[in-house]
Amino acid sequence: MPGSHRVTGQFHQAASSTLYAAVAEISPTGRLNIISATDKRSLCNAAADDYRFGTVLPGLAVELQLRDGAVFVPDDAGFRWPQLSSKAKMAAWLESQKLSILAAIVLSPLLLWWIIVYAMPMLAVAAVPLVPDSVKQQMGQQTFYSLQKTVLQPTELAAPEQAAVQYHWQMALQQLPLQQSNYKLYLYKSDFFGANAFALPDGTVVVTDDLVKLLHDKPDALLAVLLHEIGHVEGQHSVRLVAQSLGAALVFGILFGDPEGIADLVLGSGSALLQSAFSRDMEREADQFALQQLKALGKSPSAFADAMTALLSEHGDSDDASASLLKYLSSHPDTRERIEQATQQLTD
Amino acid sequence: MENAFNTDTSLPQQAPARLGKVAFSGKAGEFFGIWMVNLLLSIVTLGIYSAWAKVRTNQYFYGHTRIENQPFRYLATPMQILKGRIVAVIVFALFFVLSAVSPALALLLALALLIASPWLIVQSLKFNMRMTSYRNVRFAFNGDYGNAFKHFVLLPVLAVFTLYLAMPWVLKRIDQFVYGNISYGGKKFQVNTETGNYYIAALVTIAAVVCVVIAFSVISALAVGATAFGTDSGINGVFGLSTVLFFVLYFLVFAMSGAIYQTMIRNHLFDNTELPEIAKLKSEARVMPFLWLTFTNLLAIVVTLGLAYPWAKIRKAAYLASVTTVAVYPQADTLADQAQQDGNAFGEEAVGLFDIDVSLA
Repeated sequence: MPGSHRVTGQFHQAASSTLYAAVAEISPTGRLNIISATDKRSLCNAAADDYRFGTVLPGLAVELQLRDGAVFVPDDAGFRWPQLSSKAKMAAWLESQKLSILAAIVLSPLLLWWIIVYAMPMLAVAAVPLVPDSVKQQMGQQTFYSLQKTVLQPTELAAPEQAAVQYHWQMALQQLPLQQSNYKLYLYKSDFFGANAFALPDGTVVVTDDLVKLLHDKPDALLAVLLHEIGHVEGQHSVRLVAQSLGAALVFGILFGDPEGIADLVLGSGSALLQSAFSRDMEREADQFALQQLKALGKSPSAFADAMTALLSEHGDSDDASASLLKYLSSHPDTRERIEQATQQLTD
Repeated sequence: MENAFNTDTSLPQQAPARLGKVAFSGKAGEFFGIWMVNLLLSIVTLGIYSAWAKVRTNQYFYGHTRIENQPFRYLATPMQILKGRIVAVIVFALFFVLSAVSPALALLLALALLIASPWLIVQSLKFNMRMTSYRNVRFAFNGDYGNAFKHFVLLPVLAVFTLYLAMPWVLKRIDQFVYGNISYGGKKFQVNTETGNYYIAALVTIAAVVCVVIAFSVISALAVGATAFGTDSGINGVFGLSTVLFFVLYFLVFAMSGAIYQTMIRNHLFDNTELPEIAKLKSEARVMPFLWLTFTNLLAIVVTLGLAYPWAKIRKAAYLASVTTVAVYPQADTLADQAQQDGNAFGEEAVGLFDIDVSLA
């Protein structure tokens, strides 16, 4: 008989550990009456406004919570109050339906993948113009300063050699329709970086002595490397990488964070892999930029392949066997893949 | 269970304790549905529902954990959790962006966080304890900022200067600070842990890790030798193989050190913690079963790409409950917490801005 169920259970007064075996009854008007099961005296009598139902969860009784802090818990864990709204039962219903669980198994990874791979990079690209130039200046200057203090030493290249590099740089800057304006090229000796080049978000580009020496007789290859670095600045990759990594860290922290740390290890490696994946995508973008601009400057894309080949022999980089697994850990795409990209552009 | 009902005639001090097993009745299948559906809802609502998910998950685990057939209850509301998360997200994002934009400012913020962290820890402990109830009586945390700063910042920093030799003692002090400041029904827990046990636990853990690392190095050296001879591109094969081996080793060491230390310290801590005249704890976890459980849990999560997480979490909770007993004294049946009685139970939602659990997870 709905509306006047008599439910046996346990009653606790507010902030009291004393247990009373009790019977609860809710009248059709919503008035709650709880009487002791042993001596039939009334333990509690409350209007509909002064009590509410606890959360509905599988395998657990739905308690009645009173405004003064008292609680009534039905003995039967499976009992559901007829007065419970369907909204209150909604979550538990979804959590126990095969169909919704199956939908969650299929949709959760798909949506996550879509968010990480498409939505967040898109958002990052859209958000980057909102970042003021002064912030990018800050980012560039501070990083540059700390690198100068630690791993960069003054260049030991001869003056004519330096001038040659600067000439290629100036030529590229003048002939290309670039969006950013404060490009500056610096030469440094660095045992830490070896033959390498990198760009900072404020347009600072650093090339190491070793790289200049390595590409000494291939000026176009050096130009290709410079263009690749300009590509990073034009694409505002530093800011985007920060935005995307932050997004990914937040998504995983909120969805999977576990105070007990059982999943932290798995997630830790996961986000490191993601960061590398973001970085690889941006390297590819910068490669594409370099190849296009080489063409625009009337140079052959093979210059890019030359630079990569030279770097490959210098660093003794990845070979066939290891590549399959290690490529997920690397911040750069496989060098062979990059050379192939460049040679493909040749035949286009 | 009948004897749990109140009878005022007994003599509280003299009466013998009842031995209560901790029972856990959560089911992996049920929790899988909860976790999976909540995950989807959290993704679809851009993380907002995750606050509801956390409350439901905690309510499920608390409600299925019983002593003398009486469940624990988790009382926090999703809105309280949501507020804590918003604060955590802002702080985290600020720190993340600042460390990218300006390392100097990030250092300043890190310093500010270092000073604020004891306060955040105290707030979160207070919140989480107040939101935990057993037999309608709440727990409470009474630690203050000064002592939290001493235990979570000062002592660990000083331990660095002893080359971490004092670290087990610091960990003992931290546990004493945290658990010794918890109270239930107005009575404080008494923690009588011994420094020696923390040193033994640390030494055993380190010794086990060293043994595993040595054994692993020998095995991988042999394996690497074999591959190098077997293939043309030996060097690269070796590189790939050692990367995989390194990850396996990392997992093994992570699972092992945690299992050994946690088992030993949990047993010692529980056996020496009591709520005077109300309850006395006992933990009889064993290293090998718990190590096996931790390791297979991790393995299952990795192999199933995360789908085994609910099963692993239930399994761990069930094991820890099964090795825990509580001696309950009759006085536990007649507790009344004066501090908690006044006020409006429905007014909890309108708590202060910082009465929250600041945490991403």
